[in-house]
Amino acid sequence: MPMIEMRDVCKWYGPTFQVLKSCTTAVDKGEVVVVCGPSGSGKSTLIKCVNGLEPFQSGAITVDGIEVAAKGTDLPKLRARIGMVFQHFELFPHLKIIDNLCLGQTKVLGRSRAEAMAKATALLHRVGLDEHADKFPGQLSGGQQQRVAIARALAMDPVAMLFDEPTSALDPEMITEVLDVMVALAHDGMTMMVVTHEMGFARKVADRVIFMDKGEIIEDRPTDEFFGKPRSDRAQLFLSKILSH
Amino acid sequence: MLPDIDFNVIARSLPYLFRQGMSFTLTLTALAALGGLLLGTLLALMRLSTLPILAPLATGYVNLMRSLPLVLVIFWFYFLVPFVGQVILRADRPVEVGAFASALITFTLFEAAYFSEIMRAGIQSIPRGQLAAGYAIGLTYWQVMGYIIVPQAVRNMLPVILTQTIILFQDTSLVYVISITDFLGAASNVAQRDGRLIEMYVFAALVYFAISFSASRLVKSLQMRTAIPR
Amino acid sequence: MNYHWNWGIFLEPSPEGIGTYFDMLMMGLRWTLVTAVLAWIIAVSLGSAVGVLRTLPSRLGVGLGDAYVEFFRNIPLLVQLFLWYFVLPELLPKDLGNWLKTLPNASFWTGAVGVGLFMSARIAEQVKAGIQSLPRGQSMAATALGLTTAQTYIYVLLPMTLRIILPPLTSETLNTLKNTSVALTIGLAELTARTRAMQEYSFQVFEAFTAATVIYLVINALITVVLRRFEKAIAIPGYVAGT
Repeated sequence: MPMIEMRDVCKWYGPTFQVLKSCTTAVDKGEVVVVCGPSGSGKSTLIKCVNGLEPFQSGAITVDGIEVAAKGTDLPKLRARIGMVFQHFELFPHLKIIDNLCLGQTKVLGRSRAEAMAKATALLHRVGLDEHADKFPGQLSGGQQQRVAIARALAMDPVAMLFDEPTSALDPEMITEVLDVMVALAHDGMTMMVVTHEMGFARKVADRVIFMDKGEIIEDRPTDEFFGKPRSDRAQLFLSKILSH
Repeated sequence: MLPDIDFNVIARSLPYLFRQGMSFTLTLTALAALGGLLLGTLLALMRLSTLPILAPLATGYVNLMRSLPLVLVIFWFYFLVPFVGQVILRADRPVEVGAFASALITFTLFEAAYFSEIMRAGIQSIPRGQLAAGYAIGLTYWQVMGYIIVPQAVRNMLPVILTQTIILFQDTSLVYVISITDFLGAASNVAQRDGRLIEMYVFAALVYFAISFSASRLVKSLQMRTAIPR
Repeated sequence: MNYHWNWGIFLEPSPEGIGTYFDMLMMGLRWTLVTAVLAWIIAVSLGSAVGVLRTLPSRLGVGLGDAYVEFFRNIPLLVQLFLWYFVLPELLPKDLGNWLKTLPNASFWTGAVGVGLFMSARIAEQVKAGIQSLPRGQSMAATALGLTTAQTYIYVLLPMTLRIILPPLTSETLNTLKNTSVALTIGLAELTARTRAMQEYSFQVFEAFTAATVIYLVINALITVVLRRFEKAIAIPGYVAGT
């Protein structure tokens, strides 16, 4: 059974503007899927539907067998099991790094402070930021903040991770440090759905690539196929634009 | 159960309430807003200048006014203005100033402090490049301020200026404390005379609400429309 | 100028028979402070609640919050105090109205609650603006972690909002203090009222008003210093507003 499954997901802003048009796809356990496409293609909206941050009007999404949009679904509980990393990090500026990692653990999962601290410390070590535990987000570089944000999501022991353009707000020299963490995570077998323009990352770790344009999934194919064989004109145009520099 | 309510008392006193009361309130509001804006702009320019005595003087004045309750300031000027008039006119006794003049002087001087803060923020929001560009075409400091900076500042700050004027409109009701017949004063006079406190005060509240609310709506739509395209 | 200055007036006994004129002003100051403190508590608690309400994804909540703010913002404070003091007791059921009218220190309670409600609308505006100035991603990130709406506000949005709105909150606090003087119109013997009484008894207009002015300036300065300290104490290292 797939970890994330979407069937015919449609979403409108207002009565006329359709952002998602019958999007259907699935992500298996341990699979890494990269979602790409021009800006405004609906890719960010699509992954925000997965944990119910964006409501959708028709279709269905299940995560680990649970219907996201079903009436009885405990959304906070479901969201706690799906990690999410944002373009602008969204660390909580008033909390120390360590407390950013503990907030969800103690308030949502009900872990003890000691347990949460142990988990947080271990994760900070994993992303190479042990010595920054007592700093505030504003005192770290963008790359460091994004690594903290990944650690914060991992602290909840998620069954899957969503990445919404995790490197687009970073200065070029900081992109690698974040991608390295993500690559390691993929190799550890994490189920990942990643919206990104980093095609190097896609080639290296993605099992499949989804290409979206104007709210539609145009291509959804294994990575090698996507980059290798003939493909749709729109995907070709997109790739030529972002690979040319 | 409701006490007996007599709406006729309102109808009967409408001419008095509006022709005397409201016209006093509106005239006072308009003139004090204009005077306060002019004086406030001057104070703002003084504060932003590097003039040795004037700058700190303006700052001190603004801070003083903003620290005091308006009621106290109204009392201050009510008693102070006649003495100042005496000194200026070299009269041998304190000068009698009419109720309107006294209120106008008070509100102009008081509001100037608040308008000066608005104008200071407005002037500071204009990019430094504008000043440089003005100098570059040969204008003097006062010309640059008068033709380039202040007009833009007023335009940027217009919604805030108008909102402050609505506050001023409401604040003029405080002339009640020196027994002047503004709109509230008129309503209060009728209320006391006829023993109709409920009707008159509720009516006064409704009128103030209607005017302030519609004015603030207008300001809001103005704000939408004039959001400066950049 | 034929005004006779007499700064010694403060040490002379007031005709009310309880201490000097100085004591009289101090009693007024006490009422000013007590009224301001109660009004401030009402203003901040109600204002925060209404401000939060106006940011919730509930049309009814937003509508109610907006109506609340418009009501208290568009009627002069003086008129509001008259409504609470003269009109409200008449419109209530007879027993309740009589209880209100005979309440000891009625002008104090009315003044404090009236100023508090008036100021709460302005604080609600600040709180709403503060919350809306936070990046939308903040509440998304909190939601994505599984926090409920209430938890998102308590642990993420409000701590930041407090820091953002402290400077305007300081000036609203000073406004609360200043606005208590309006309650003299419903008979509260606060500082400005006592100053006026001193002037009427003693004819030393300018000494009395100068004293009141100095007292207001000192209280203003104290409040400002305390709140600045608080602002510094809760400032976040490395955080620059708007980034």
